[in-house]
Amino acid sequence: MIRLIRSELMKVRTTNVWLVFTIGVLLSAAIMAIIWINVGSSQIDEARIMFAVPEELSPKEKEEWIRTHDLGPILANTAAQIYTSGQFLGILFVMLLGAIVVTNEYHHQTATATFLATPKRTKVIVAKLITAISFAGFYWLVTTVFNGVLGILFFFSEGYDPQLGDWTVIRAVLMNGLAFGLWGILGVALGVLIRNQIGAVITGSVLYVVGSYAIILVYGLIYAFWIKKQWILSSMVIWPSMASQIMVSPEKVYPQSPDWWVGALVLVGYGIVFGTIGTMIARKRDVS
Amino acid sequence: MLDGQIVVSGLTKVYGEVRAVDDLSFTVQPGRVTGFLGPNGAGKTTTLRMILNLVTPTAGTATIGGRRYCDLREPLREVGAILEASSAHRGRTARNHLRVICAAAGFPLSRADEVLELTGLRSAAKRKFRGYSLGMRQRLGIAAAMLGDPRVLILDEPANGLDPEGIRWMRDLLRALASEGRTILVSSHLLSEMELLADDVVIIADGRLAGHGEVAGMVSGRAVGERVRVRTPHPEKLLAELGSEVTAQSDPSGLLMVTGISAPAVGAAALRAGVELHELVAERPDLEDVFLELTAGRAAIR
Ligand SMILES: Nc1ncnc2c1ncn2[C@@H]1O[C@H](COP(=O)(O)OP(=O)(O)OP(=O)(O)O)[C@@H](O)[C@H]1O
Ligand SMILES: [Mg+2]
Repeated sequence: MIRLIRSELMKVRTTNVWLVFTIGVLLSAAIMAIIWINVGSSQIDEARIMFAVPEELSPKEKEEWIRTHDLGPILANTAAQIYTSGQFLGILFVMLLGAIVVTNEYHHQTATATFLATPKRTKVIVAKLITAISFAGFYWLVTTVFNGVLGILFFFSEGYDPQLGDWTVIRAVLMNGLAFGLWGILGVALGVLIRNQIGAVITGSVLYVVGSYAIILVYGLIYAFWIKKQWILSSMVIWPSMASQIMVSPEKVYPQSPDWWVGALVLVGYGIVFGTIGTMIARKRDVS
Repeated sequence: MLDGQIVVSGLTKVYGEVRAVDDLSFTVQPGRVTGFLGPNGAGKTTTLRMILNLVTPTAGTATIGGRRYCDLREPLREVGAILEASSAHRGRTARNHLRVICAAAGFPLSRADEVLELTGLRSAAKRKFRGYSLGMRQRLGIAAAMLGDPRVLILDEPANGLDPEGIRWMRDLLRALASEGRTILVSSHLLSEMELLADDVVIIADGRLAGHGEVAGMVSGRAVGERVRVRTPHPEKLLAELGSEVTAQSDPSGLLMVTGISAPAVGAAALRAGVELHELVAERPDLEDVFLELTAGRAAIR
């Protein structure tokens, strides 16, 4: 198994896909970090003005005001956003990498050589899953460190604590890692299900990028005109892109949203189900 | 111990309406080059892919040294293969392509350079696959097949795209490998090349076995008899001398194809008749005649 993983990692490293993707991931992380730093900075400024203790209050009331107008959660949310700002496009890249790791074999007709070296195809798919997860982990690390440095610089320059010990922040960063890994798995499964390189890339991108907006729109319409029940909106979590948002978001994405762990379970479920279906298909499929 | 014998038994593959391979059985012996022949669409590629576990048979089995390909513990050490529609990533160098395979098979990466040397590709080793010519790609395929120094080689039209020198190089390589006791199964359309290369042939048509045996035996034992080609300015005088025992076809240029008599006898007859001869050749039937006879009427693309 080790040698298969080595071989799969080598396959990615010996083409320029990996270079293109790494540049893409870093570039998008930088752009998103700058956007979130701007958004966060104005949010903090606004909050600071609103939260400023009014002079006319009595000392008792001032104490109460300070207790209820804590800047902490806002700082933590901003920090979580900035530290995970490589996520949205980073995950897209990881999913596409996972898909390409598989579709390349058909696109370039290397499946023959691969399956001749390893006739036990399940092993090949598992090695590809592990490869995708490794790259997901790598990109998560790179974007987190990169955005972390940018974020910490921002907080210091504004004179705030960078919130590194806050559970909201830590959870966001960890969930971000989980999301990277799970989408890597979904990408591999997608590549097995849709062998055509361009088909897989387009399907994956559309599902991921447009997916959550389309779902919110459709569910919004259903809720408004058909079934006016809260659970309709809660059930949006069954779609992978929504599940992913619900899982990683430090706050509720929308009021009826289930807890983050429901999103996590849904994504893990998709990973397992599609990973298994994909593996079974690859085992049976003729290579000709 | 793997003895390297390939045994195909009852192998069948059905694609929708088409019985691409139909209850095919044959064995391939080690230490010999076995040619695998058949018209276009006869099912050669499909058969080879089934032997290598790339295509799942509808029925039947194929074993190499008594084991199915997917049960081999170190497949590349035991079997090397070149197949149609097998290729490398266009953006990867030839050397890296081979190293990826080495990594998967657990061979030292330096094996890649050794087989590049063996196949004459050393100078192009660091070139990307997209810059490879057809013949170079074929050589890279051979290089990949040789990585594990296998006892069995299975090649699907390996001469495709090779230049005359390359064809000779491959013929010598395969002959040398067979003489070391390895099993060589090679499909081809080049019948004259096969006659030089193969010890045995397996001929299929319509997915079914049409003939199987030693090349020498198959060629000499055919109903197609020996023919004599004669060129003379006076064909009618020669024919009169030859008598009614023989059958002859003539064409206006004075060329006669005579059957039922040996070349020396034709020469003697010409001398008796005082006829000038410009050409006298005994034509032995060759593999092509055997092939065409065995596959006659079954060559249509399905
Ligand atoms: N994946 C497939 N789907 C449907 N039909 C197929 C498939 N692969 C092969 N066939 C059919 O099976 C038959 C045998 O094809 P195969 O490629 O094995 O022939 P071949 O002997 O290798 O021919 P050639 O000499 O042209 O290479 C053909 O009729 C072909 O159309
Ligand atoms: Mg073929």
